[in-house]
Amino acid sequence: MRSGAEIPPEAETTGVELSRRDLIRAAALTAVGAVAGVGTVAVSRSSDGGPSPRGADSVRRLPVLETVPNDAGADPLIRMQAELRLAMAKPIEERRWSMVIDTRKCVGCHACTVACIAENKLPPGVVYRPVLEEEFGVFPNVQRRFFPRPCMQCDEPPCVPVCPVSATWKRPDGITIIDYDKCIGCRYCISACPYGARTSDFGLNYTDDTPEAQPYESLPNHEYGKSWSREDHGSPVGNARKCHFCLHRLEVGLLPQCVSTCIGRATIFGDSNDPDSLVSEQLRQPNQLKLLEEKGTKPNVVYLV
Amino acid sequence: MTRTLRWLAGAWTVAFVLGLIGLGIRMFTGERLVGYGSYVPWGLWVALYFHGVGIAGGVFVVGTIGYLFRLPVLRDRLPVVLWTSAAAMITGLIAIGLDLGKPFRAPFMFLTPNFTSMMAFNSWMYMVFLATLAACFVLHRRASTAVPPTDRTGWLVPLLCFGIVLGVAFPSQSGVFFGVVEAKPFWSSALLPGLFLTSAIAGGASVLLLILTFLPSAPETPAGRTFGMLRWTIIGAVVVYFVLEFGKMSIALWSPASHAREPVELILAGPFWWVFWIVHVGGGLLALALLWQGRSRAMLGTGAFLIALTFVATRLNVLIPGQSFSELKGLAAAFSHPKLSFHYQATVTEYLVALFIGSVGVGLVYVGLRLLTGFTITHPEKAR
Ligand code: SF4
Ligand code: SF4
Repeated sequence: MRSGAEIPPEAETTGVELSRRDLIRAAALTAVGAVAGVGTVAVSRSSDGGPSPRGADSVRRLPVLETVPNDAGADPLIRMQAELRLAMAKPIEERRWSMVIDTRKCVGCHACTVACIAENKLPPGVVYRPVLEEEFGVFPNVQRRFFPRPCMQCDEPPCVPVCPVSATWKRPDGITIIDYDKCIGCRYCISACPYGARTSDFGLNYTDDTPEAQPYESLPNHEYGKSWSREDHGSPVGNARKCHFCLHRLEVGLLPQCVSTCIGRATIFGDSNDPDSLVSEQLRQPNQLKLLEEKGTKPNVVYLV
Repeated sequence: MTRTLRWLAGAWTVAFVLGLIGLGIRMFTGERLVGYGSYVPWGLWVALYFHGVGIAGGVFVVGTIGYLFRLPVLRDRLPVVLWTSAAAMITGLIAIGLDLGKPFRAPFMFLTPNFTSMMAFNSWMYMVFLATLAACFVLHRRASTAVPPTDRTGWLVPLLCFGIVLGVAFPSQSGVFFGVVEAKPFWSSALLPGLFLTSAIAGGASVLLLILTFLPSAPETPAGRTFGMLRWTIIGAVVVYFVLEFGKMSIALWSPASHAREPVELILAGPFWWVFWIVHVGGGLLALALLWQGRSRAMLGTGAFLIALTFVATRLNVLIPGQSFSELKGLAAAFSHPKLSFHYQATVTEYLVALFIGSVGVGLVYVGLRLLTGFTITHPEKAR
């Protein structure tokens, strides 16, 4: 480094002298930076989501359950199962998964919460479908109602654009998913979701602090149709996790586990692009409520009150 | 001075060793022993990250302006400014790296970036900034004179000006990082970029002033121009910060139905009231008094140290209260687990890792000073 002795005495008082050339070069650098910044953001904004299968690749020909009659008096589960098969026979772009939860039928049993935990092998601290309770009125005129809260599969999901590595996106059928192989675990999406629908897998086990890990904890889960093992900090440990409407079950013709388990038949699920489906019928009811609608997220889960 | 330095070196060694233990725990246990969870997903390390990158921007902006305006000491210490800025940036990036659930996937930010994310945008800005620092460093080494503008290529000054734009932009973007999160009413404010930038300028100028107090360059006394510029910059930035902060809080408290009211009440009277009142306000006012008096290097150094340290509270007081309330009432009670709590308390592991992060930052600055100025603990730089 140069010594201060080389500095001419007047330097201390001259102050800055930026030549015109300096200014032009500085402005050029800044302009290039600004254009590059705006350009990259514009390109990112116009990209159409992640690498979900589309068109014919996404069509599934699933077996018809002929032994179970799907007549007018059939259980809603039977009807939804049949409608699921029809929806899966269409390309992904033509189906639209939606859920309607009838709070008048929900008894707050938490069976859906537990079934989801079992289905997706959720570790401690990770939950996809907690059941919120609301109490209103003044004693003795008090009432309680329950709001199971899956991921809302928002049409304008704030959790998606914040992901720095494009590890989460909205599929054409409306389901927002996470690629566990890409997620770096920054938890920005968790902050961005107003519903608290994303949780992080911190690598905890139910048998932590007990003498022995139990075999069920090392079983793989099958989210997104892959086999994930959490052993040795494998994904999804360290990743954000969320409800995905049991995509792996839909692919094989099964309803989401929370729907199958709901003892009150309070959770209705199906293709809202099919006007004859049960879920479309429910979506035409006037007594609807969407959570935090003012956030502009356009949720695909609707509550009947 | 030597005795103070030896004492500080001892404290640094203890902090570093404790920090290494924390790092080991972090590596072996992952994120099991941290206090943050899914409802408060960012904690102490994220605050340190924003503090680090803020200081990086502040050091560069203030130091480079001092260099360009040929202030004594700064005019022939550009490499120190560049190095310190880079050290603060690297420290911040270490902090955020340790906070990631999958730290080894951090390069994905550059391989598959999504520029609709302010996080990806910031990461690229940091890389451009570090590259600018490196280019300035090289050009300055090849310079023909020490007085700016100096180098033969004619690109040093333009690059420094570009760096100033970056040094203002990315600390402000740290505020945007939170401001765009509509889910958190306390964050969703246009004041945040200003708050973050002001905090960065205060922190950056403080670090420079602190370094200056340890580099006893002969012509520069506490009454000198460089000391004056730095202390008035800090004083100005701290006062502006307090004013903006008052604005943000008073607006939230004024309206009885404000969504940002609960977080403000938490800051002022919650369990961590002392972080605001004692660390932030108390530390800030004490530092202002010391800097205002500014009679000796020790006084200025202490004031600067207090700002550099206590202004981490400005990050915490944005970060934590913003996450401490659910937009969906009843969520906390719906499913119980320590990781599903809206109450955040940093754990011992987090504090130990914070010591590691802080001591790495200080260590990097020291190595730079030693290489660039010959400064050592036992033989402080000779008066010049
Ligand atoms: S509910 Fe949350 S996680 Fe689900 S799509 Fe909406 S913003 Fe994303
Ligand atoms: S936690 Fe994963 S999915 Fe969420 S924003 Fe970060 S990288 Fe993307």
